[in-house]
Amino acid sequence: MLARVADSLYWMARYIERAEHTARLLAVKLESMIEQSPEEAEASWIRVVAALTGKEAESTDAFAITDSLAFDRLNRSSLVSSLQGARDNARQVREQLSTEVWEHLNRLYLGTHGETIESIWVHQPAAFFRETLEDLFTLGGVTYTTLRHGEGWHFLELGRHIERAQLVSRLLDIHFGIVAPGYAQPPPPPKYFDWLVLLKFCTAFEPYCKEYTAALRPERIAQFLLFDAEFPHSVRFSVDRIVEALANVAPGAPPSRRAGCERLAGRLKASVDFGQIDELTGGSIDAFLVNITRQCEQIHEAVYAAYIAYDAETVL
Amino acid sequence: MAESGRGEAAPGRDAPYARYALGEAYDEMFARDGSVRPHYAALDARLRTLPPDDLARRQQACEQSFLHQGITFTVYSDSQATERIIPTDLLPRIVPAAEWERVERGLKQRITALNLFLRDIYGEGRVLKDGIVPRAMILGSKHYRREMRGLAVPHGAYVNVCGTDLVRNEAGNFVVLEDNLRVPSGVSYMLANRDVVRRAFPNVFRAARVKPIEHYPGELLATLKALVPFQEDVSIAVLTPGVFNSAFFEHAFLARQMGVELVEGRDLLINDNVVYARTTSGLKRIDVIYRRVDDDFVDPLIFREGSSLGVPGLFNAYRAGNVVIANALGTGVADDKAVYAYVPRLIRYYLSEEPILDNVQTYLCREEKSLGYVLANLDKLVVKAVGESGGYGMLVGMHASKAEREEFALKLKADPENYIAQPTIQLSTAPTFVDGGVEARHVDLRPFILTGEETRIVPGGLTRVALKKGSLVVNSSQGGGSKDTWVLSN
Repeated sequence: MLARVADSLYWMARYIERAEHTARLLAVKLESMIEQSPEEAEASWIRVVAALTGKEAESTDAFAITDSLAFDRLNRSSLVSSLQGARDNARQVREQLSTEVWEHLNRLYLGTHGETIESIWVHQPAAFFRETLEDLFTLGGVTYTTLRHGEGWHFLELGRHIERAQLVSRLLDIHFGIVAPGYAQPPPPPKYFDWLVLLKFCTAFEPYCKEYTAALRPERIAQFLLFDAEFPHSVRFSVDRIVEALANVAPGAPPSRRAGCERLAGRLKASVDFGQIDELTGGSIDAFLVNITRQCEQIHEAVYAAYIAYDAETVL
Repeated sequence: MAESGRGEAAPGRDAPYARYALGEAYDEMFARDGSVRPHYAALDARLRTLPPDDLARRQQACEQSFLHQGITFTVYSDSQATERIIPTDLLPRIVPAAEWERVERGLKQRITALNLFLRDIYGEGRVLKDGIVPRAMILGSKHYRREMRGLAVPHGAYVNVCGTDLVRNEAGNFVVLEDNLRVPSGVSYMLANRDVVRRAFPNVFRAARVKPIEHYPGELLATLKALVPFQEDVSIAVLTPGVFNSAFFEHAFLARQMGVELVEGRDLLINDNVVYARTTSGLKRIDVIYRRVDDDFVDPLIFREGSSLGVPGLFNAYRAGNVVIANALGTGVADDKAVYAYVPRLIRYYLSEEPILDNVQTYLCREEKSLGYVLANLDKLVVKAVGESGGYGMLVGMHASKAEREEFALKLKADPENYIAQPTIQLSTAPTFVDGGVEARHVDLRPFILTGEETRIVPGGLTRVALKKGSLVVNSSQGGGSKDTWVLSN
């Protein structure tokens, strides 16, 4: 597969994952607002903004925040920017995608392209994000079922799960970590309802209840979202998919070129396979989550160095 | 509006043809007396029974489908680039079998002569020595590539993909308006149009026994494969300028349909005069490049410096015989609008045959007598800049204002060698769906001619239609649309 094509597929998947995450956080947040006091809603908006942008919220007005997170084209992590990024990358590699995948993504892009905060706010704003999520789920299914599960598919999987592992880690960090310094007024610590919302942010509420009953205990939630091997939005699940994808990309590359990526992925896998939540109490969860994010970045760089942006001299 | 007594709907009188104007131009559907030509009878019957909003609904569905497929076209004006759908008209343009058979023979004859001409001017130069074509005109052309001299190309086929623009004149004869020998585009629209129109008129389509065109990508692949002496594991790539090119959809479409790699210049590199693509697993050798990049941008070392679209060193690899580039470089010299005027003579010279398809009468402004005539008759002529395409740098005298004509006359006098003129041809008109009715609009026809070891033409081509009433300009960059073209079986 052309290195440029791999690059585009990888980023297409990352953008789609980011769009899905953004749409879900906004849908869940807007739906849960009704049950929160103004102070609680404000605190939880601060967490959502931090999770999606890494920055402190400039306002706590639901309309303004939703506008910026969903529709601001200048905000590179907004929903429309992510969909645009996904569609631009898909268009670059149109001939590598199935017609079904391309048309579904293109329709999704064209459909959200014309929307504005005003046009969705008059009805139920959450409904728009739910519909976008449904479309993204369908896209996932269409991709799974119409695309050959060859090298291109594995690059999509790699992109999706490198993105997801980092997004979930960041979300956990914001809920479990010591609040980052620099906030003029740190948001109050999460309460019962916030834990429920966190699970919903990760589509994890029902799976969690099946595993641990509806008794929401923060350390169990952390255990579940970090270390559950079978839940698709746990960090461990994503790490396993990363390891799998890496074993299947660039099938013709010699072992010497594969070694770097595989070593990094193996190390990341060990840390989530053998991690225990009771060792991560008292602030060390911060360091653990930051380390996951950093390792994902290292894997990204190693993949580029080995398979995508390599120096031609080294392979002649 | 009343039906006519014979159960027929007359153009200009009855629905759905109430606004259908028959003029000087030859009409594809109606004879001069308003009767329907036999090969349009089935479509006519359908159109007369179809509820008007049904057609509108089908048209809308077709546009929606193009948008979703991303069959869009980028129009550049000022500093803005807009993605638009190429308007497709649902009513097919129909060509009877016997007529097509003659067109096909004519096109084969013409491409054979043009390929011989290219081989000659990059080889011995017999045609120049014999004074058939002025030497200065060829060697002075900006599309003549000195670098190509003495370089043999496989099967002598310089032009592997040709898109010839045909028009039907007032007498109803197909004549050649233009040979596009560089990187002609539009074939993806030919195929996409067929796809939607067949769905819009399934019964008429079946009854009419339309010749298939779906094998075009296969024919193109076979043509490209024939350019290398081995047939196992031929590694072929389509070279595109990238996603910002207005024809990017087509490049991706053809690569996908042929099952070959779509590459950009930055994907390729040259080592030891061999072309490689950079893949995730390492470097992969490329044998044939179907390039959709202009000559100037193929190799920055030889042609335009600083271009990032091409591949440094590609031309040397080509000269070394390690890669085939299709079309060959330097073919533009032969579709120059000035050389065009000589093509009938080239056919006689190389093939000792009379041209089957005529040219449009052409005045070379480089000849003083012609220039005088052109300047005196600007209002009746179409004047074209020799090296331009896509409808740019051209004056349609009949539709230009006096001021526009005067301005153009200055340009003409300043650089007469750069211009040719042709009488305004009333391109034939064909039924087109406009505002809920069927109206006459001017059309041309661009068949695609493939030449490797042999010449193949899929029956049909891209019919372009000037959607603006009375307009003769069919270019998509200037408000043109396209139609499906049905070539009928005997």
